[in-house]
Amino acid sequence: MSEFKIQHRTGEGVNVIDLKGYLDAHTAPELENVLQKLIEEKKFNIVVNCKDLSYISSAGLGVFMAYIEDVRKNRGDIKLTNMSPKVYNVFDLLGFPILYEIYKDEQDAIKKFQDARSVQN
Amino acid sequence: MSRLKKILYVTASLVVFVTVFILDVIRHAVSFDLDGILYIREGAIVCALFLLYLYIRAAHAERPSGIPKNIGKLLIYSLLVLFLASLVSFVGRGTTAPDGTITPPQAALTSLLSVVFGVVLGLFSISVLLTIKDLLLHKRRKGTKRNFIIYVVVLLLSSLTVLPLIPAELSVISSILFAVAVVMIVVNSFKQNWIVYLSRREKLYSIVYSALLFLTFIGLSLLITQHPVARALDTFHLPLRNFAQLNAIFGAVYFGMAFISTLFHLPTAEVYERKQSELTSLHNLSRLVTQVFDFSDLVNTVTAMTLEVVGARSAWLELIRERGTNGQVAVDVVSNRNISPEQIELITASEESSLRKYVLDSKRALLIDDIRNDRRTKHITKSGVTVGSLLSVPLVSHGEPIGFLHATKDFEFGFDQDDIDVMTTFADHVTIAIENSKLIAKSLERERYQQEMMVAQQMQKRLLPQRLPKHPSLQIAAVSEPSLEVGGDYYDFVQLKGDRLGVVVGDVSGKGVSAAFYMAEVKGIFQSLSKICDSPRELLLRANQSLVESLEHKAFISLLYGIIDIPKGTLTLARAGHCPMIHVSGLHAQMIRPTGIGLGLTHEQIFEETIQEAEIQLQKDDLCIFYTDGLNESRNAEGEEFGFERLVQAALGARFLSAEQIKETILTEIRNHTGDSAYGDDMTLVVIKWLGHGEG
Repeated sequence: MSEFKIQHRTGEGVNVIDLKGYLDAHTAPELENVLQKLIEEKKFNIVVNCKDLSYISSAGLGVFMAYIEDVRKNRGDIKLTNMSPKVYNVFDLLGFPILYEIYKDEQDAIKKFQDARSVQN
Repeated sequence: MSRLKKILYVTASLVVFVTVFILDVIRHAVSFDLDGILYIREGAIVCALFLLYLYIRAAHAERPSGIPKNIGKLLIYSLLVLFLASLVSFVGRGTTAPDGTITPPQAALTSLLSVVFGVVLGLFSISVLLTIKDLLLHKRRKGTKRNFIIYVVVLLLSSLTVLPLIPAELSVISSILFAVAVVMIVVNSFKQNWIVYLSRREKLYSIVYSALLFLTFIGLSLLITQHPVARALDTFHLPLRNFAQLNAIFGAVYFGMAFISTLFHLPTAEVYERKQSELTSLHNLSRLVTQVFDFSDLVNTVTAMTLEVVGARSAWLELIRERGTNGQVAVDVVSNRNISPEQIELITASEESSLRKYVLDSKRALLIDDIRNDRRTKHITKSGVTVGSLLSVPLVSHGEPIGFLHATKDFEFGFDQDDIDVMTTFADHVTIAIENSKLIAKSLERERYQQEMMVAQQMQKRLLPQRLPKHPSLQIAAVSEPSLEVGGDYYDFVQLKGDRLGVVVGDVSGKGVSAAFYMAEVKGIFQSLSKICDSPRELLLRANQSLVESLEHKAFISLLYGIIDIPKGTLTLARAGHCPMIHVSGLHAQMIRPTGIGLGLTHEQIFEETIQEAEIQLQKDDLCIFYTDGLNESRNAEGEEFGFERLVQAALGARFLSAEQIKETILTEIRNHTGDSAYGDDMTLVVIKWLGHGEG
C-alpha cells in the first residue's frame, strides 16, 4: 500500500495542502493535524489539492467535515481541486459536490479566494 | 525428651539428694562408719547428677536463644552461685566453733546447705559446660569437637580419681589429670569464632557479659578452694569440688579470652553488619519478583529496601514520563520515603541543569559527597534542605533509561564505593521488576480488552437480522463482515403494511467501536421510523434530522433504503450518500443512483432539496444488489480495487443462480481478487432476487 504524504504551501494568501497516496482511517489524523494547525494560526483560506490522492475512505472524508464549519464561520473555506475521476466519484457518491466547492485546477480555487477578498475590500 | 521422662529424672535425682541429706544428718547425730553405705551414697550422687545433666541438656536444646542471651543467662546463674557460695562460706565460719565441735542442729543446717549448694553448683557446672560447648561448636573446625570431648573426658577422670574409694596413692594421677585438663582448657579457649558473627550491638553486650563472667568465675574458683566452701562440698561429694573447680577455671579462661577477642573484633563489627545486611537485601530482592502484580506495592518495597541496602536517610523512585529533545525529562515520583515531593523538587531541579541530566548523560550512578560544596548542587544550599550526600542511579532497560533511584544521607561523604555498587546492582533488579510489572499489567489489560470486544461483537451480531424474511416472490441472501471485531456496517429488513418489504443497507464512517455505536443508533432510528414513514425519501429526511444533531462533526452515515411493493412488483429507492444499488434485469445491469447526501453531513434544507427517489418496475428474475463500499473497494496486494465493474460482471454471470449462490459467487470473486490480503473494510452484501408472482 503506497504511503500517505501531506505537504503544505503558502502563496498569495492561500494555504494549499497537497495530498498524496491513501487517505483512510490510519492516515486521517495527519490531515487533521495540518488543518487544526492552520485554524489555530487563523489561516482560513484553504485549498486541498488532490492531484496525487489515490484513495479516500469515509474516515478521510470525515476530516473535511470536522473542520469546514469552523473555517466557514471565519469567512474562509476549504476548496478541493485536481481530483482524479475515481476520487471524485467517492466525493460525489456522498454528495460532497453540493457541500464543497470542487475545482478542476488549483489556480481556479486560488483565484476564487482572491476574487472574494477583492469584493470584501 | 518426653515430659514424663523429665519429671521422672528430676524426681529421681531429688529423691537421691533428700536421702543423702537425711543420711548426712543421721551420720552427724549417730556416729557410724559403714564404707558400703558411703560407696552407695557417692554412686547415687553421680547418678543423680547425670540424670540432671540429661534433663538440662534436653531443656537447653528445646529453647535455643541468641548467643548474648545465653551468656547473659550464664552470668545470672554464676552470680546466684557466687551468692550461695558466699552464704555457705559465712554460715560455715559462724557454725564452726574454735574447738571444732558442732551441735546436732547446726550439723543439720550445715548438711542442708552443703547438699543444696552441692546440687546447685553441680547444675551450674553442667550449664557452663553446655554453654561453652555451644559457643565452641558455633563454627566447627576439624578438631573442635574432639578437643572439647578430650577435656570432658579428662575432667571426668580427674574428678573420679578423687572419689574416696580410690586409694590415696593415686593422687599423683589425679594431679596429672588436673594439669592435662587445664591444658585442654587453654586449647579450647582459643576457639572464639562465634564473636565474628555478632552484630555490633551484640558484641557490646558480650564484652560486658564476658568481663563480668570472667570475674565471677575467678571469684568462684577461689571460693571453692577456700576452707568453708571446700569443706561443705567435700562433705557432700568429693569429686564435685574438682569438677566445679575445673569448670570455673574453664569459664574464667574462656570468657577472659572471649572478652579480649571481642574487644579486638569490635572495629570490624560494622563491616560484618554491612555484609550481613547486603546478604539480607539480596535475599529481599526475591521479594521484588513476587510483588510485580501490584505496582504500588512494588515501588514502595523498592524505596524501603533502598533505605536498608545503603543505610540511607531518605530514598525515592522516579519513573520517566517523557523525554524532551533538549535532554530534559519529565518524571513521576512513584514512591518516596522520609522526604516530601517538594524537597525532591528542590534537590533535583536547578535553573541550569537538573541532576537527572547528569545521570542520563553518563548513564551511570551520580554521587555527590558534599551537597553544600558541590558545583552541581549549588542551588540546594539556598533552599535549606538538610541533606549531606546524595546517590542517584539510573534504571536502564535495554539501553534506555526508564527512571531513577535516589538515596540521601544527612551527613557528608555518606556513601562509599560499596554503596554505589550495591545500589547499581539493586537498580538493575528494580528495573526488571518494574518492566515485568508493566508487562503483566499490559497483558491483563489486553486480555480484558479482547474479552470486551468479544462481547461487543456478539452484541453487534444480534443487531443484524437473525433470520431473513421469507416470501414466495422473493429470494434473499445477506452477509456482513466487520474488518475488526466490530464495525459500522448495517443491513436490515422490515415488514411493512400492504405486503411491502423494506430493505436497508448503511455504512457509518470510520471503523471499530465508534462506528459500532453509531450503527446501533441507526438501527434504532430505522426501526422506529420505518413504521411511520411511507416512503424511503421521507425516512431518510427524518433520519438526517435525528442524526445531524447527535453525530460528531467528522462522522456521517450513508444509507440506501428501498421498499419492495410485492403486489405491484416495484422497488422505490432513496439514497443518502450510499453506494448505488445494482439492478440486474436480463442481460442489463444498471446502477440505480438517485441523488442524496450522506446522513449527518448537512442540515435539512440542503438535504431535502437534494434527495430524490427512484422507482423501478421489477421483472421476473431481476436482481437487486445492495452493498457497502468495503465490497467494491476490496484491494489486492497491488492495491487494485475490486471495483464496480467486476461486481456487476460477477452478478451478471451468476444471474441464473439462486440469491444465496449469487452472494457466494460474488464473495468468491472478491476473495480471488484480494488473494491472501485480508478485507480492508467492513463489508456487507444483500442480494434480492425477484421471483415474480408465481404465474410463470
